[in-house]
Amino acid sequence: MWDAFGFEFVNFYFIPGLVLGCIYALGAIGITLTFGILRFANFAHGEIMMSGAYLTWTIMAILGAAGLALHPLVALIPASVLVIVLFLATDRFFYKPFRKADTIKVVMASFGMMLIIRSAVQVIWGPNQITFVPGIAKPNPTLQALTGDIGMMILMPNKHIWIFAGTIVLVVALGYLLNRTRIGKAMRAVSDSPDLAHVTGINVDMVIRATWIVGGICATAAGVFLVMDTQMLETTMGFRMLLPMFAAAILGGIGKPYGAVFGGLVIGLAEELSAYPWIGDAPLLSPGYKTGVAFAIMVIMLIVRPQGLFKGRSF
Amino acid sequence: MKKTLLATAATLMATSAMADVNIGNPMAMTGPIPDLNAPIAAAVDLAAANINEQGGMFADGETLNIIRADSACDPTAAVDAVTKLINVNSVTAIVGPVCSGATIAQAESVSIPAEVVTLSVSASSPAITNMEDGTDLVFRAAASDAYQGVALAELAMANGFTDIAVSYANDDYNAAIAEVFVQAYEGMGGTVTANEAHEPNKASYRSEVATIGAGSDNLALFSYYGSGGITLMRNALETGAFANFIGADGMLSDELIEQIGAENLGTSTFTTSASDDSTPSFGAWKAIADAAGVPAADPFVANGYDATFMMALAIEHAGTDDRAAVAESLRAIASGPGEVILPGQWAEAKAILAAGGDINYEGAAGNQDFDENGDVAGNFSKSVIVDGAWAAELIQ
Amino acid sequence: MEAYTGYFLYILSLLTVGGIYAIFALGLNVQWGFAGLFNAGIVGFAAVGAYTYALLTTAESPFHIGGFGLPLPVGMAVAMAMSALIAGIIGLICIRLRSDYLAIATIGIGEIIKLILKNETDITNGPRGINKIPRAWEHFSEERFYTSWPMSWFGTPENWEAFFDGLPNWYWQPLFAGTIVLVVFIIYKMLERARLSPWGRMMTAIRENEPASRAAGKDVTRRRIEAFVIGAAIMGLGGALFAQHLRLIEPTNTFDPSKVTFLVWVMLIAGGSGNNKGAILGAYLIWTIWSASELLISGGIALISSTFDTLDPSILATRAGFLRMMLIGILMQVILQRYPGGILPEVRPASPKATKTTAGPTGD
Repeated sequence: MWDAFGFEFVNFYFIPGLVLGCIYALGAIGITLTFGILRFANFAHGEIMMSGAYLTWTIMAILGAAGLALHPLVALIPASVLVIVLFLATDRFFYKPFRKADTIKVVMASFGMMLIIRSAVQVIWGPNQITFVPGIAKPNPTLQALTGDIGMMILMPNKHIWIFAGTIVLVVALGYLLNRTRIGKAMRAVSDSPDLAHVTGINVDMVIRATWIVGGICATAAGVFLVMDTQMLETTMGFRMLLPMFAAAILGGIGKPYGAVFGGLVIGLAEELSAYPWIGDAPLLSPGYKTGVAFAIMVIMLIVRPQGLFKGRSF
Repeated sequence: MKKTLLATAATLMATSAMADVNIGNPMAMTGPIPDLNAPIAAAVDLAAANINEQGGMFADGETLNIIRADSACDPTAAVDAVTKLINVNSVTAIVGPVCSGATIAQAESVSIPAEVVTLSVSASSPAITNMEDGTDLVFRAAASDAYQGVALAELAMANGFTDIAVSYANDDYNAAIAEVFVQAYEGMGGTVTANEAHEPNKASYRSEVATIGAGSDNLALFSYYGSGGITLMRNALETGAFANFIGADGMLSDELIEQIGAENLGTSTFTTSASDDSTPSFGAWKAIADAAGVPAADPFVANGYDATFMMALAIEHAGTDDRAAVAESLRAIASGPGEVILPGQWAEAKAILAAGGDINYEGAAGNQDFDENGDVAGNFSKSVIVDGAWAAELIQ
Repeated sequence: MEAYTGYFLYILSLLTVGGIYAIFALGLNVQWGFAGLFNAGIVGFAAVGAYTYALLTTAESPFHIGGFGLPLPVGMAVAMAMSALIAGIIGLICIRLRSDYLAIATIGIGEIIKLILKNETDITNGPRGINKIPRAWEHFSEERFYTSWPMSWFGTPENWEAFFDGLPNWYWQPLFAGTIVLVVFIIYKMLERARLSPWGRMMTAIRENEPASRAAGKDVTRRRIEAFVIGAAIMGLGGALFAQHLRLIEPTNTFDPSKVTFLVWVMLIAGGSGNNKGAILGAYLIWTIWSASELLISGGIALISSTFDTLDPSILATRAGFLRMMLIGILMQVILQRYPGGILPEVRPASPKATKTTAGPTGD
């Protein structure tokens, strides 16, 4: 029935792929920075994303009951402050003791944090789904009419426009931070070579804090964008995003935030485009294997080019 | 360490388990479907509460205890949980687990070797029908998919769908029912334009929906509402790939209305085990459930109540909490001849049994007569949106 | 009296499952404790072993390929070989990846293995899984075993039937638990041998200082692949025993990474990586805590709700399962920080020629 609209490849495969890609990209930024600067794969990152979304929802619900309806992108700001506090506390109590120890220790600690945070959310908010926004999102009529006039009708609901806009703002801000500010340059320096950075007098603790703050903001945003898209909250959604986000970080090159953004978009697109009927009428790859697309890209990348497309760190 | 733990556990158990009747109830508290599980567990508790209010078990009014454990929809957890229920808590019988895989694993690994009866609340896999070799220990209060898939195919035909696209979540329940549906539907002359699995719990299904939507306006959706079903349905509605939806009871929930909105579900029909308000047994159940705030028509909730109630009736019928007597009594109370007992009528049933009479339990989810494999046939009803809520009607 | 039989059988089941986890932990100890290979895809090797065993030993079935009805030891041996073969292929490609990268790659490969098992329905019966998997000792009382050789040499079907009817219904439980404990013991003995051999000392050398070992002319890559393959073969055996214990396996929930991969890692780290005794101790300890904590928590809830009548126990009960996960997470953090080398830290093997001094615990 959608044949009538034409242009279906863009509307039903490319745009959804980009939406998913934006969410992966924002999550992968935090992962790649932690990996580059603190040198470990943070398995709790997906849960941080999820708890950010739950906190945003709770703030909206509390203020909503008081008669103040907030847009999720506004409620995201106080929620990300809470997430940053959570991140810094986790680092202080669970990761810092292992700063000089084997990587495995801190990876295991983050694995444990993943369990603790997820079960805490399940105990506090319950395991059931929570409706974020009820109803279904219809395409934005203005955009549809405008693009329809020039023969390239784009069907995009408002929530996707918000997600794209939010991602662009965050990525531009991140670019400014990393390239124009002192702390941003220090972060890049530590990521490139920690010993050298230490010798040149960079305050490593400060850089680590900044990493958690940037990662926390991006993770909360990723979580909120995810629930804006799926319109519901679920306690396992963070974990399900984790491996594709790792894949994105590796694809872009560890320690390279822009690489992570690019990697996220590629993984998101690859997942959605794998179901396009490239040959014949059936999906190219059975949708049952959809989850495997990101894993396969990740494993191939690790084998063929472990430093990633953007020449990140390889151990 | 082990000894202290066991000793503590034993004392904790003993406080609640003295001279009472204990039924083990492994449920999928954690794992992939906690939201589907929660109302079923509430229905099990409700049945026990009803029984204890109306005189409890046996002549001296012993308390019926439901000892809950977590089977997590996972064979490993189910086997561990049921091992503890049978050996440590010494339960008389098992009511539960929720998922088919967990049910088969706990039965083959623990409860059949220990000769304990299992009455599953919602395991619907056709594989359970013939799983026993010469024993009579596994029963279920939910109809096999082999029946519901056919009922759904008939419904699709009755709705005038000559072609249909099928999308099923790749888990034990949905894959099984989809297979039965496709076979039956094609046998009735329908055309299946696409038949694809989807991975549960993904954030987006837009591309899958668009691809399989190319061939047909009708979608047969087999999924749990709590693990991707709602997202898939939302994506299908947003992209406008499909006009009509049918599906089985995994999708039928008030959660669907709350999240997607009744106004968008006008063309959706879902089957479930009989939940027509006009039948006396479902009416009786709905009155009890509504009073207790349990969603009466959610998937397998009525079956949860039936299973617990029947197990208690069977133990009452046997007159002892001995394990060996349960299977035979379960068959005796479930089907005729005998006085018809409706959900909630514990005092009546108790009186008849005490007088040496026969009873025939007619359950909330169907007549609950066991065949020789311990299966029930089940009636099915179809649910559509009427005035913003699900309204069920029996399929004849 | 009956109650004591129950406790006895529960302890046997702890021995059984703890033993299966101990086998996984010993396999991981070869990979991580000996060679420093961060395998986070244990679940994949366990699944390969379990499925291989299940397909080879079940009776013929219309649901999946075969059901070849082979003898149980054959199934277990092939399960090990299959797991080793797959580990060999993965090893050849991935072994040069280091620590976290290997972890991420193996997680991905583990998930791909699970997806294949789930989607290739004609071979594996997909998400519905394989059931009626024969369990050692118990399988003797199955008709297809006592009517065929070698059992049919010793008695007629009627005799066998009468014999098994005479035994208590749990006769196989002590035997099965004993077999698993025996397997754990044999693997332990073999690994101790290996650890103290020149091969084991070379492994430690490679793990601790790779450039030096390379400079000393050791074939580092080859040794690493060897450790990876041996560890995977042990995990494959664990998977086969896991399938026997469960009697039904399916790809999604049986092989859930947080309950296999993660739990095994907790066991090894808690017990002491690099120490085979530690791996076994950790496995039994953590499994006992994991299993018994449910009794404690449900008992605790019963106690709380009987003390405070106003409290709705259903909310507590719904969420109790998650408290259990949290408990394991916290327990792990405590062990990591308080016992960095595990409960039984590694003892370095001394060269027989060197003076008999043992090196201190590592990891601090």
